[in-house]
Amino acid sequence: MNAHQSVTIVMIEDDEGHARLIEKNIRRAGISNEIRHFTDGTTALDYMFNDATGPALNGPALILLDLNLPDMSGTDILARVKAEGSAVRRTPVVVLTTTDDKVEIQRCYDLGCNVYITKPVNYENFAQAIRQLGLFLSVIQVPDQED
Amino acid sequence: MARGVPLRALVHVRDDARSFRRLLLAALALGFVALIAAGVATWKSTERSARYNALVDHTYQVRESIAAFQILLEQSETARRGFILDPAPLFLQTYRENAAALYPQLIRIEALAADNPRQQRAAARVRRLLDRVTADRDRSIVLVQSGQLAEAIVGFSRGQTVLSMRAIRMRLRAMRAEEERLLTIRTNDQAVSATAFLALLALAGVLVVGIAAVSFLTVLRYTRDLGQSRARLQELNDTLEDQVAERTTDLTRANDEIQRFAYIVSHDLRSPLVNVMGFTAELETGTRAMAELVDRAEATAPEIVTDEARFAAREDLPEAIGFIRTSTAKMDRLINAILKLSREGRRTITPEPLDMAALLASIVATLQHRLDERGATITIAPDLPRLTSDRLAIEQVFGNVIENAVKYLDPARAGRIQVRGREAGGRAIFEIEDNGRGIDPRDHARVFDLFRRSGTQDQPGEGIGLAHVRALTYRLGGTIDVESVLGQGATFRINLPLRFSDTSGLTT
Repeated sequence: MNAHQSVTIVMIEDDEGHARLIEKNIRRAGISNEIRHFTDGTTALDYMFNDATGPALNGPALILLDLNLPDMSGTDILARVKAEGSAVRRTPVVVLTTTDDKVEIQRCYDLGCNVYITKPVNYENFAQAIRQLGLFLSVIQVPDQED
Repeated sequence: MARGVPLRALVHVRDDARSFRRLLLAALALGFVALIAAGVATWKSTERSARYNALVDHTYQVRESIAAFQILLEQSETARRGFILDPAPLFLQTYRENAAALYPQLIRIEALAADNPRQQRAAARVRRLLDRVTADRDRSIVLVQSGQLAEAIVGFSRGQTVLSMRAIRMRLRAMRAEEERLLTIRTNDQAVSATAFLALLALAGVLVVGIAAVSFLTVLRYTRDLGQSRARLQELNDTLEDQVAERTTDLTRANDEIQRFAYIVSHDLRSPLVNVMGFTAELETGTRAMAELVDRAEATAPEIVTDEARFAAREDLPEAIGFIRTSTAKMDRLINAILKLSREGRRTITPEPLDMAALLASIVATLQHRLDERGATITIAPDLPRLTSDRLAIEQVFGNVIENAVKYLDPARAGRIQVRGREAGGRAIFEIEDNGRGIDPRDHARVFDLFRRSGTQDQPGEGIGLAHVRALTYRLGGTIDVESVLGQGATFRINLPLRFSDTSGLTT
């Protein structure tokens, strides 16, 4: 990830346990970036577009997105983020969800998702996948926000 | 429900038809009886008329004969008197001719009156009187011829002949009167019978007309009912396909709902399970650290390590974590099984012509290692039916069943597995027979249920394979069943349509 370590990871995940496990395993991969966790779509979108410390107004970010949320579908959030004219449309989005439906995966990539990861069914694989994701995150380049 | 109406209507029509038939038969029978009665009456009446006419004719003959007889009698008398006054041969001849005709005429009368004792008696009296008159007159003629004219005139004036003649006339009148009386009686009889005949004819006529009306109305009503029920049937027929389509849609929707439900349930159950497993792993890591700490503490400062802490760190916690792990692992497998089944149900079936021999051979190839391990053999019969069905589903069905056969072979004897197939009326019937440990008959239905297994639980598995197989065969429009004797082997019979069509299974 960017050398100045200012990339914020925005995690949108309704399951507190999953969120904690994801965070732990990312940390184990050596990622020390700030992780902002949201359990619903509305507050997450509000943070991204309107918050003074959010990615739209302040610095680069990376979004970890779960598709099954209580208040809206993850694809709706994806569409909003990647919409034409969106301030955060270059922000990488990693969809991290349990769904492995072919149509759903295609739809996410069509909407502009950068990486789609299916949460493995058993925990060992899950933990491993998240750690690998962490390693991956540590090498990818995140674009700076436009002025 | 729209379904109930036609059923009731049909029952109604059937009842109607029965009563209608009874009514019509009764009416027709009555009509025929009336017609026969009218015919018999006509025949009787005609016969009676003929008899009456004969009797009337008879009466006239009797009367005519009597009149002729009287004329002969009077003419002979006139001639005899003329002969007494003037003994001319012409008078004598006239007398003789007329007198000679009298007896034949009387015989005719007697013959005609033979049926009536009264007339017979009267005729007999007339004959006796005629005998006397004839005798008197012949004597007077003889007297005149022998010249004893005075004697003849005396005899005449004594009036014996005249009295007898008067008696005869009276008898003849009585006879005529008798005939008149009989004629009157017969005429009355005839009038009465004619009236009765007419009445009977009228009654029969009314009856026939009435029956015709009833029959006509009944036929009319029945025809109308028939038309109505036919219209209803037509309507039912027309809407049948719609109804079937509607029900199919309903069922399909219900099926989809179940599939979705199974998917969502298993999917959503998986999320918390990942947490349980994840945090169990965290706990395990933590426990290891704790155990190390206890070990170190025991080495450096044994007095601070209590027995409880030692047991907790070394036995209780690892044991608890172990149970949590095995339980969650099992639950994970079960949820995955449900997920797999529901996914299978949602998969699109793509039928293609299948080479069953090649398909089965590839299944056997994947099991070859295990077969060799167990010293078992599989024989696949030649000329298997050619199916047009979904390749993946068929592979899974046969793969599972054959794998099961290998899995549950009896270690006490050499395993033999046979795969056969034949066609029967548009369907393919495959049999997979093994000489393995067999299935208790009590469990024949149960082995196809999800998470249910039979016999000694010495083989790994969750009881998913056969449930999956059954779901797939249903999906392909087929069935599966098992025949088995415990300890001797089992035969699984898979019945599939030769050609998969979307209507043969409940699919979308």
